[in-house]
Amino acid sequence: MSGELVLPPIVRTRLDCGLRVIVAERPGVPLVAARLVLLGGSALDPDGRHGLAHLVALVARRGTRRRTGRRIDELVESMGAELGVGVDEDASYLGLSAPVEHLPRAIDVLADVAGAPSFPPAELARIRRRELASLTHDLDEPAVVADRALLGAAYDGHPYGHPSEGRARDLAGITRKDLVAFHGRHYGTSTALVVVVGPVRAAEVTELVRRRFQRWCRRPVEPPGIPEPVFPDRRVLVVDKPELSQAQIRIASPGFARSNPEYHAGLVASSILGGAFTSRLMGAIRVERGLSYGVRSRFASSRVGGLFFISSFTKVETAGELVQVALDETRRFCDGGPTAEELERTQNYLCGLHPLSLETHEQLAERLADLELHGLSHEELTAFRPRVRAVTAEACREVALRHFPRDAAFLVAVGPAGALAPQLERFGPVEVVAAKTIL
Amino acid sequence: MSGLPVTRDSIELERVVEARFGNGLRVRLLPERSIPTVSYCTVFQVGSRNERVGLTGISHLFEHMMFNGAARYGPREFDRVLEAKGGYSNAYTSNDLTLYYEDFASEALETVVDLESDRMRSLRIDDEALAQEREVVKEERRLRTENSVFGLMEEQLEALVFLSHPYRWPIIGWMEDIERITRADCEAFFRTYYAPSNAVIYAVGDLDPEATLALLERSYGDIPAGPPPAPVPAGEPPQRGERRATVRFPAEAGAFLAGWRGPPGRSPDASALDVLQVCLAGGEASRLRRRLVQEEEAAVSVTISWGWRVDPGIFFAFVELPPGKDGRRAEALLYEEIEKVARRGVTAAELARAKALLRSAVLHERATHHGVAHALAQAEALVGDWREAGRALEHYAAIGAADVRRVAREYLDPARRSVVVLDPRRTP
Repeated sequence: MSGELVLPPIVRTRLDCGLRVIVAERPGVPLVAARLVLLGGSALDPDGRHGLAHLVALVARRGTRRRTGRRIDELVESMGAELGVGVDEDASYLGLSAPVEHLPRAIDVLADVAGAPSFPPAELARIRRRELASLTHDLDEPAVVADRALLGAAYDGHPYGHPSEGRARDLAGITRKDLVAFHGRHYGTSTALVVVVGPVRAAEVTELVRRRFQRWCRRPVEPPGIPEPVFPDRRVLVVDKPELSQAQIRIASPGFARSNPEYHAGLVASSILGGAFTSRLMGAIRVERGLSYGVRSRFASSRVGGLFFISSFTKVETAGELVQVALDETRRFCDGGPTAEELERTQNYLCGLHPLSLETHEQLAERLADLELHGLSHEELTAFRPRVRAVTAEACREVALRHFPRDAAFLVAVGPAGALAPQLERFGPVEVVAAKTIL
Repeated sequence: MSGLPVTRDSIELERVVEARFGNGLRVRLLPERSIPTVSYCTVFQVGSRNERVGLTGISHLFEHMMFNGAARYGPREFDRVLEAKGGYSNAYTSNDLTLYYEDFASEALETVVDLESDRMRSLRIDDEALAQEREVVKEERRLRTENSVFGLMEEQLEALVFLSHPYRWPIIGWMEDIERITRADCEAFFRTYYAPSNAVIYAVGDLDPEATLALLERSYGDIPAGPPPAPVPAGEPPQRGERRATVRFPAEAGAFLAGWRGPPGRSPDASALDVLQVCLAGGEASRLRRRLVQEEEAAVSVTISWGWRVDPGIFFAFVELPPGKDGRRAEALLYEEIEKVARRGVTAAELARAKALLRSAVLHERATHHGVAHALAQAEALVGDWREAGRALEHYAAIGAADVRRVAREYLDPARRSVVVLDPRRTP
């Protein structure tokens, strides 16, 4: 394929305080993306405190020793930026994208919010009430209910087994002391990284980051240790939502960690099965049978493990049929692997679209941060095409045999239990729960 | 900071190459070589606005039919061929337009032109494909409307805001109409609305404009023009008082959706409403988020959405309520804040903040080939001139606090309001 992807110069520096600074010097649109990643996310939530990491990130941006939350809002938004904070199972993130002339102020805000939050008690109380209300609203989103239920059931008992937004019963009991303690234990420059992408000079940015983060340098924090997950036995979980006329379906099986060498073979195999519009699942479920508007499969890979899952939806009466068709397709893939034509088409597809996934400064910053988080080199970005091209049909079949669900599926369905349970019991022992229990 | 070379803030309109072929097909090309990809858009000026009672949803259902094969590339070939060349395609239907796009590695350009011109020239419309897409669209309607609190409320609100204009029915159509559409309806629809005379092509990215223009002329130039589409009855009687409706659907918490009929996209007031939208609910420092969500905790979230349309569209406010609370307090606060703007306007700092956020939005749009191609396409379809895609910042710069106050007073008048309230009780 011509039109090779040329990456901008990328400079990686480690400051004395341990903070890693990665700068991509990229001319173009006069925006700059800045992202601060703190190693450690919701997997570090203590038992009975699920949602703590998330609350720490949300409340941190509501006030620091130097600025009130309102002042931070005004400062950031007057630059034309919005400060995003988020937490996933492995890390906490603060990021913004602003016109490039505002970079010094943007870095200052990141350092201030991450390094010196004051956790105002009134803001904690308010944010907690809002989060509890948002969780309740989530119950009205069938797809969100399905995703939450899947996570809880698949990683049952493991630190990955709760959504980063936490659980309603736990949020109520989290105190300011918990926030301060979590921040002290897990927010530190020794495990953090700052990524900046835009029309900037690396030396200047690195010096800017060094100055702004100087105040925050302190004792190193422990990198988190998370045990490997153990996947449960075959089962069917039905989340009862009697008012729905369409069921949300998830079919899952164990995947692998992001740094696993199977990553590229897994990507190709899951794309052939359920990634692109011409995938086998799309053909069997949407094109041939009109059972659904959409279906997809993918590996969701984290630091110490991952899931493979298929997601779709269909009218309640055809839920069992959809699951059967999906499992037939995964079994057929495991038996025969992809055809030569499918393999080549999918490799071309993934390679052709690769530059589009790095087109904006924000996209590149996010990818660079993720690679660093998973202990991978940014060379992965230029090695992507050769690695995808090197995947063989046999490698696809092997990764499918190891990870795709066949008979031993783990199934979640959201909808009226009375109509769904009888259709799904042939796939495993059925457990019906009320929607509220997934909060 | 001394930096690297940067682009201008706005699309470089003078670099766009435009043409109109003998059959009426319009073409706009913009070379941008930042990454080795091209974004290719084909817009047909048809959407739910062009439909009639009994045949609602045909524009959207027809969009699905466009992926089911033509004379040279048969059923399921379109995406197979495109993906094999390193490309992705999708499409959407709005009230005013239907847009097909492909994003792909630049060497696939010839293939994309071949695929797109094949289906514009000779789409196959058969009963089997129609029957199957009908089922898919029904699932889509179940997903987005019938099992969605917001979807149900939006559909009700549109039917309140408009009494006679075709914007009163949903883009996806009523379920019974989706059932009713026939192959003959689709064939007539294709002849009129998918003729080159009703289409525009945009290509942005790693391409040579002269060679691309020649390629397009060869591929599309001899497709015959179609009959002119029927004019849209765009009138709407004036609203003389608030309109309200209730949606009963079991839910965990309440919500309400308010809407006002705004100006058409081509009105200068459309940009002033963009600024008002950000002042009201863009960012944490916006008026409504501060008052309703942070200070009074009368709402969990407030979203304002104002999308430009060919004819007067809707300025929406969607408010999610805390569980157990009804919406009276939040509704009163929403109207109070709007009235404050209508009476006293916004401060210089609020105006500056809104303009800074809008500038960033323009820069983000400009950062991708896809964003630029869509901006050109939307501007031409909704405002009548693709050049408007590069003029947004000029328009925002010209807006003062008095304009924001005036549009708040003129368009968000209580007597022009329509409101849909969710009743979430299981057994009302």
